[in-house]
Amino acid sequence: MITGIAKAGVPAAVAVTIGTEPLKAETIPVPSAAVGLLYDATICIGCKACVAACAEANDTPPDTRGDALHQAPTDLNDLTRNVIKLYKSEDGKEFSFVKRQCMQCFDPACAAGCPFQALSKDPETGIVSWTADKCIGCRYCTITCPYHVPRFQWVGYNPRVTKCELCSHRLQKGLKPGCTSVCPTGAVIFGPRPVLLMEAKRRIQENPGKYYQNRVYGETDNGGTQALYLSRVPFEKLGLPELGPESVPARSLRWQRRFYQYFALPVVLYAGLVQVIRKSLKGHEEEAHAKEKGTGLRAQL
Amino acid sequence: MSGTPMNLENANADQTWERAVPVYGFPVVNGFFLGLSALVLIAFVLTAYRELAGLGPVSGMNDAFGWGIWKTFNVMVLTALGSGAFAVGIAAWVFRRKRMHSLMRMALLTSFLAYACGLLLLGIDAGRPWNFYWIVFPWKWNMHSPLAEVAICMSIYAMIPLAIENIPPVLERLWYFDSRLRPGVERIERRLHSVFPWIIAAAYLLPGMHQSSLGALMLLAGERVHPLWQTPWLPVLYLGAATFMSFGCVAGTTMLCCLVWKRAMDMEVLDEAARITAWLIGGWLALRILDVVYRGVLGTAFRLDRFTAVFWIEMMLVAAGGWLLRRSLANHEKRDMFIGYILSSAGGMIYRFSPTTLAFRPDPQALYFPATIEILVSLGFISLGIAGFLVAVKRLAILPAPLHEWHSMANYFRFRRPYIRWTGYFKYGYFGENESETVNSD
Repeated sequence: MITGIAKAGVPAAVAVTIGTEPLKAETIPVPSAAVGLLYDATICIGCKACVAACAEANDTPPDTRGDALHQAPTDLNDLTRNVIKLYKSEDGKEFSFVKRQCMQCFDPACAAGCPFQALSKDPETGIVSWTADKCIGCRYCTITCPYHVPRFQWVGYNPRVTKCELCSHRLQKGLKPGCTSVCPTGAVIFGPRPVLLMEAKRRIQENPGKYYQNRVYGETDNGGTQALYLSRVPFEKLGLPELGPESVPARSLRWQRRFYQYFALPVVLYAGLVQVIRKSLKGHEEEAHAKEKGTGLRAQL
Repeated sequence: MSGTPMNLENANADQTWERAVPVYGFPVVNGFFLGLSALVLIAFVLTAYRELAGLGPVSGMNDAFGWGIWKTFNVMVLTALGSGAFAVGIAAWVFRRKRMHSLMRMALLTSFLAYACGLLLLGIDAGRPWNFYWIVFPWKWNMHSPLAEVAICMSIYAMIPLAIENIPPVLERLWYFDSRLRPGVERIERRLHSVFPWIIAAAYLLPGMHQSSLGALMLLAGERVHPLWQTPWLPVLYLGAATFMSFGCVAGTTMLCCLVWKRAMDMEVLDEAARITAWLIGGWLALRILDVVYRGVLGTAFRLDRFTAVFWIEMMLVAAGGWLLRRSLANHEKRDMFIGYILSSAGGMIYRFSPTTLAFRPDPQALYFPATIEILVSLGFISLGIAGFLVAVKRLAILPAPLHEWHSMANYFRFRRPYIRWTGYFKYGYFGENESETVNSD
């Protein structure tokens, strides 16, 4: 019977593996009420008010580990969800600030790799958030995220993963995220993603040639992100890699996902293996018993 | 096969592995064993410190290199060496290479120890290990995550199929130990044999899945893995490396044991293992080179940087190992074979280590070098495996030997050490006389 299942199953499994197109996991659903940030690096004055406001809004102690006096984190870390960095070209003529925080990707690589769904994307707001009681602390998210956003707490027996969750606790109270509520120049604004995208495109249209490639980073990059960027300097200089329009998980896990689709291929393989091994085991047992008669010693299987 | 004793068919009868025989006449506790135990003890104490202090104070891991040697060496590299139950098993049971059966017990034991020690360290490496309980709720798994696949599949494999496959030597020892245990042991054995096809099949499917998923882990890291290593074929290459490395581990360890404990080597079995390994190495190297050429990144292999060095060292070691194995088949030189296994496995180890560590470039300034405590804990858990191996081969019938070794062992316990009751393979007063009787009435 099992052989029959295996014989019929092989074409079926292959069909399932290759035929189901497009896979659910590969078509990226757009959250119904996607909210996001629009950061315009050309307006930012680098005052870092957003860094302090972020820590305050998230009830995090200021990161003063640099000089034990100032809250001056050099990069995102276990106390810093939001950071302002400065890019300066080698000849010193070109410079730009950049605000780094979670990009809230449409298809987040961190959540794609997270083994027990501790990192998950809200289907409505699209905010990628971390759940303490599902995280095993494997730090795979720190490796998979193409923007290198989630950070692990290296000290203490109960470590946490820190990343920007768009102040979802403030949104529930009708407040804006901490960073956008204090920005003095409006370099970072909060809103529904379609509105932000329109605003970004309006700025590009009104100032042709001002922005790099006349392009909004995040519109299609990495499958689309909910944090959008405008800049005068190349995005790569600001730590935003050119990833193409396909998301990292969709591109790199395509075959992995197909092989494990409905678990069809492994099950068929298993049935086939059982059949083969049954036969081998029978032959091996017979041989062992013959040997047992020959040597007078108990068979070892 | 008829009732003809096998040794009539073989010219070198006293060198044919026909039976697994315990290593008798050597004490388990010696200087080497005490040294290993000390390392294990140190590792346990440091582990307790790690659980309280967190990962930062005990390791060189940082924001850029989120994974240290506990994962990248003890799990990713050593479970590849411990894939013997998978690779040798498939050769023996699926492709019916009958000679490989005499290596199976070694393969199963080394695999179990490598996986068990790796999994223990994986639990210590996890920052929030108490949340591992989600593993029992399949609907909470992220089915598309390679890491979930690795964590779940590896634990299930080591705890169920691999552990069950290692039971027969234990039962056998109980059977010989006391005749009153025999009916019970035989009942369990019958039950075990009836489920064996299902267990063994799972023991090949699961490692095939997680050894390839270990490679898929680094796919998500994208550009940050050097182009010489980052390829869609990473899962296949990882699995392939595991197959020849585990052959090297099983056959190499067996040869080493034969040297240390002065056992005869069955060159027919070893030659066949070397032949299979050489073919596996050839296939793997071909795939690796084709992949590098086809993706058009061969140029990066000739730049002067550390990645080039790692790449060529790795390829040269594997190729030299394969070549030595081929040569040993022609000139029947055991030394060539042994060194061939060591070189090819070392090359494979570097390959498995590279994508996560040596060829991982999260940012140009970032550096990772394991901290002292990290290295000590890693060594401690390797020592635990080796100590477990030493106890097992001295107390259970694992290591293959010619038939006369078995009779020598029986004589040893009968005439030279009749007072050994608990540590001898036979119970005091029983010398194997009624063995064939029981067998024939079965």
